[in-house]
Amino acid sequence: MRGSVPRVIEATALSRSFDGRPAVEGLTFRLPSGSLLALLGPNGAGKTTTVRLLMGLIRPTGGSATVAGFKVPDADLGGRLRGVCGFLTEAPGFYERRSALDNLRFFARLYGLSQPEARLQEQLKEFGLWDHRDKPVGTYSKGMKQRLALIRALFHDPRVLFLDEPTAGLDPESALEVRERILRLKTEGRTIVVCTHNLEEAERLADWVGILRRHLLAFDVLSAFRRGRGDRTQVRIRLAGAAQSWREAAERCGGVEGASAEGDCLLLTVREPRSTIPGVVAALASAGAPILEVGNESSSLEAAYLACIRESA
Amino acid sequence: MIRKDIVLAFLAHEMRDLRSNTRVLPVFLVFPVLALLFPAVIVLFGDAMVAGAAHDPGMTAMLEAAHRQPEFAGLDLNQALMRYALRTVVGFYLLMPVAMAGTASAFSIVGEKQQRTLEPILATPISDREFLVGKFLVCLAPTLAVTWATAVVAILLVDTITLVRLQAVLLPDRFWIAGVGLLAPLLGGAVVLITMRLSARSVDPQATVQASALAVVPGFLVVFGVFGKLLISSFTALLTGIAVAALLDVWLFRRVERTFEREEILTRWR
Repeated sequence: MRGSVPRVIEATALSRSFDGRPAVEGLTFRLPSGSLLALLGPNGAGKTTTVRLLMGLIRPTGGSATVAGFKVPDADLGGRLRGVCGFLTEAPGFYERRSALDNLRFFARLYGLSQPEARLQEQLKEFGLWDHRDKPVGTYSKGMKQRLALIRALFHDPRVLFLDEPTAGLDPESALEVRERILRLKTEGRTIVVCTHNLEEAERLADWVGILRRHLLAFDVLSAFRRGRGDRTQVRIRLAGAAQSWREAAERCGGVEGASAEGDCLLLTVREPRSTIPGVVAALASAGAPILEVGNESSSLEAAYLACIRESA
Repeated sequence: MIRKDIVLAFLAHEMRDLRSNTRVLPVFLVFPVLALLFPAVIVLFGDAMVAGAAHDPGMTAMLEAAHRQPEFAGLDLNQALMRYALRTVVGFYLLMPVAMAGTASAFSIVGEKQQRTLEPILATPISDREFLVGKFLVCLAPTLAVTWATAVVAILLVDTITLVRLQAVLLPDRFWIAGVGLLAPLLGGAVVLITMRLSARSVDPQATVQASALAVVPGFLVVFGVFGKLLISSFTALLTGIAVAALLDVWLFRRVERTFEREEILTRWR
């Protein structure tokens, strides 16, 4: 059954406005099946709206999309579509006084699962929650709730998974655990869309990356996206004293696309680092900046993302 | 099409929740106790009321009203008064769902918001209408179950007492059957729908209960104050009341339907 439907997301000029104000506009992209897309963007960029549109939870005001072979907007607005999608909402959203098992049983019935017990047992064991199944969800840690929410998103064996901020607010250990689960899900061949602010997480998980700021600023394979903006690197210059007073001087240097100060560190986004960094260091030193250390932060997704966002500003 | 399984899932879920909700439970206990107490007092102390009627203008008026009822014409004063007084208790059985349904539905809808369970529910394949009907029924069902169960116990209690004391069975009469059986659920339904509508803009269940009570209970009391006497003395008037309540429910349901669209809930509800 799973193989017979194209596991792919395709959006064409997908748009949505609220009271005449556009939340997302003209999103056009195609995500191959079995991929993991990291949807990145600042707060209010339209990530959650995009996911809700793709899930058929809200209607587009323009354009259309196809998800797992179902068209959005559909005549019955997504009842069948939601049956093949899993959604991890930003807040876990459980009945706190009820046990984990009770919560899952209720949602299993809404998904129309007639015999969910074996599946729930298997999933609760797999996610390490079997021993806690009868405890009220209110007594769970954030990490446990998030794992429980993942079970809920998965127990109907969805082809497409939408994960909205899956590690937000989790301690590092829990976040790592959730990331490992997501990676495992990716190996099962599901198509996954992760909305996140955590660029490190996106870098670890994603094959594809989409940068959203109302419009889709970039949509590419992660490696290609980084390569496309690969001449931009983030450089950290540590100074003996507050870095803020040297920020403008650094920004004026050729090849520097952005500068920010964090305590005694200057963070620069530079183009062509090999030729730019020596020039920046020389300029700052000649202006009297007490440089202690120069470090190449990364030629990472972070630098590419920041460059992309700044270009759009 | 509304799937029975979905509605049953909501119902089973909500009933469990209700049992452990310490803020809703008292309302579901106080009203039934009063609803049993009133008819029991009437049949236990009916003789004393008749005996004191001569000195009490209110009681005299009630006695006259009782006697004017063609159905009570052949009965002795004591029985006629008891039957008439028991009919007035129907009014309390109409107030019961009004008060209880508002509380249950405020906690049911706003509770989902507080626990942030709405979006996960709406992400399942259920339809908007299933969600609305499911919520409507789960808010109404406990209220009706309690109202009807209390009415059955009250009828058994009254009949046991009157069988022993008067060798007569007084309840249920057709006013009780139509009032408690039909008008009570329709009024309860209207209150649920009004509260559901109010819940869409609220994040505090207690505030919703108060807003609902302010919107509904005074209206109910005024209507019952004006038409109450007519409703318990003319069966045609009672049937007309039932028809009006049914039309009100249909109108309210259509109004609330739009509020309960997935899109509306996700984008407009606070």
